[in-house]
Amino acid sequence: MTPWILQALNGISMGALLFLLAAGFTLTFGLGRVVNLAHGAFYLLGGYLGLTVLRGTGSFWLALVAAGAGIVAVSWACDRFLIRRTRENVLGQVLLTVGIAYVLADVCLAFWGGSPLRVPPPEFARGPIDLPGGIVYPRYRFLLILFGALVAGVLWLLYSRTQLGALVRAGVDDREMVDALGINVDRLFALVFGLAAFLAGLSGVAGGAFLTLYPGADWDILAYALVVVIVGGLGSLGGAMIGSLIVGLVDAYGRWLLPEFSYFMVFGPMALLLLVRPTGLFGREA
Amino acid sequence: MVSLATLAIAIPALAAPWLLGTFWISLVTQMLILGLLALSVDLLTGHTGILPMGHAGFFAVAAYTTAILEVRHVQGFWVSAGGGVLVAVLLAVVFGLSVRTSGVYFILLTLALGHIVWGVAMRWTTFTGGENGVSNVPPPAVAAVRFADLSVYYYLVLVVVAACGLGYRRLVRSPFGLALRGIRESESRMRGLGYNVFAHKYAAFVISGGLAGVAGVLYAYWNRFVSPAAATFHASAEAVLMGILGGTGTILGPFIGAAIILGIRNWVSGYVVWWTSVMGLVFIATVLWAPHGLLGLVRELRRPAAPGSPPP
Repeated sequence: MTPWILQALNGISMGALLFLLAAGFTLTFGLGRVVNLAHGAFYLLGGYLGLTVLRGTGSFWLALVAAGAGIVAVSWACDRFLIRRTRENVLGQVLLTVGIAYVLADVCLAFWGGSPLRVPPPEFARGPIDLPGGIVYPRYRFLLILFGALVAGVLWLLYSRTQLGALVRAGVDDREMVDALGINVDRLFALVFGLAAFLAGLSGVAGGAFLTLYPGADWDILAYALVVVIVGGLGSLGGAMIGSLIVGLVDAYGRWLLPEFSYFMVFGPMALLLLVRPTGLFGREA
Repeated sequence: MVSLATLAIAIPALAAPWLLGTFWISLVTQMLILGLLALSVDLLTGHTGILPMGHAGFFAVAAYTTAILEVRHVQGFWVSAGGGVLVAVLLAVVFGLSVRTSGVYFILLTLALGHIVWGVAMRWTTFTGGENGVSNVPPPAVAAVRFADLSVYYYLVLVVVAACGLGYRRLVRSPFGLALRGIRESESRMRGLGYNVFAHKYAAFVISGGLAGVAGVLYAYWNRFVSPAAATFHASAEAVLMGILGGTGTILGPFIGAAIILGIRNWVSGYVVWWTSVMGLVFIATVLWAPHGLLGLVRELRRPAAPGSPPP
């Protein structure tokens, strides 16, 4: 029984991390029709930035905020000078953001080197935690689950209970209509894009504590995040929540039960789902 | 019948081993192989208007099949090469169902499907060797000829690529190719005209996958070693970029693009450590300033500037 629960916790904590990344990605696409394949690079760069801040100041919280803020700046620059010029051209956007990702990853390599670096978690999050049922689990990953749930809760409240959230939902549904109603959709999109970037940078620090930061981590995590948004449906926050849980759990159990086919376990059902429901669980027509 | 342009390409191509040293011949061979992969992708991006981001999967699957058949089962050229292409086609038959999706979903789905191939190559260590891959692929022996020497293998690659190129040319100039370009312009209009859009896209996808498989077979014999590196997202993305860089919708474009990318990788990397950034900047610059590639730029320059004049 215990290993099943342990793997479930592994899966949920991974899902929490994936949610942080996927939520931003899915809303960025839902509202702005922007496919940002540099999102993984944002994660990695954010993690490295946070690590440097952590080494300099000793504060994990400051590292989280700095990572988020740093990536917001980087993503703003990318959008303002580059991504904005590929309006409606999905092919161009995909290649452009891949190019950005290559450059950012190279910058990371230049500044932080090629060895895997681990972000040391804060004092209170180190060591094991005793859970009911005699289960001993890494404290950090457990807290990550709580953190992920907290962020999910806050985002959900903003999304479904505030006027701002209503505007975003309306924009995801029908951008032109919202625009015609006099709402500045560009500013709305900038907000969402900024939030996505903040979460990406933040998740780099969070992930760096147990997955470590290394060249290639950007694409590794992006692959999983993409499965989450594909399964959940592009543009759907609820889809991102459910998708990240599903992907996290399938990945954990897959690695444990069938390690040689763990990748296939995650991506295979996703492909099947898409054949049946081309827009994912909660998505809508592109 | 034979145009000046064809001669301009054919003569240097045939004389290359005498003109260039081993390093350059190896590079040119690689350019032909990757150019063929890029060509297969361009059938979909340039002619059908869909963007597959996982074609390295077909490339790798064929390469692995050929390598494994040669190394572990000592099957010889025809079985190994034929097996490689066959497996790639079968995979394309399965993955081709992805054309049911469109737009961004298709891009992300093919990306993930390509990633599956990479993941299986990495993790199914008992079969694929994992990161160690399959090594010591013997040089191909076609009939009585052993293509042991790289310069000689170059000719085999040249012949195969030329044959594929001519076949491709036939295909894109046929009514089928015309239908694909119609689909690229407007799927709904084609549907309204009575075309089975799904069947066309699916057929194009399978053909494209098979062609990528041919490139994979050639790669296995050239590299003598197949590893998961052949199936990475980078490989797929580069295949797409090569076509766009050189000129979408053309036949030479993908090869020109391949030459440029390989040039950057092999030449620039000799000078600067940050050549990945250079690659990224090339992506960015292409998208912003040369969205139809170099041949597209050439086309633009040749076109008279006066408005209302007919396109060349």
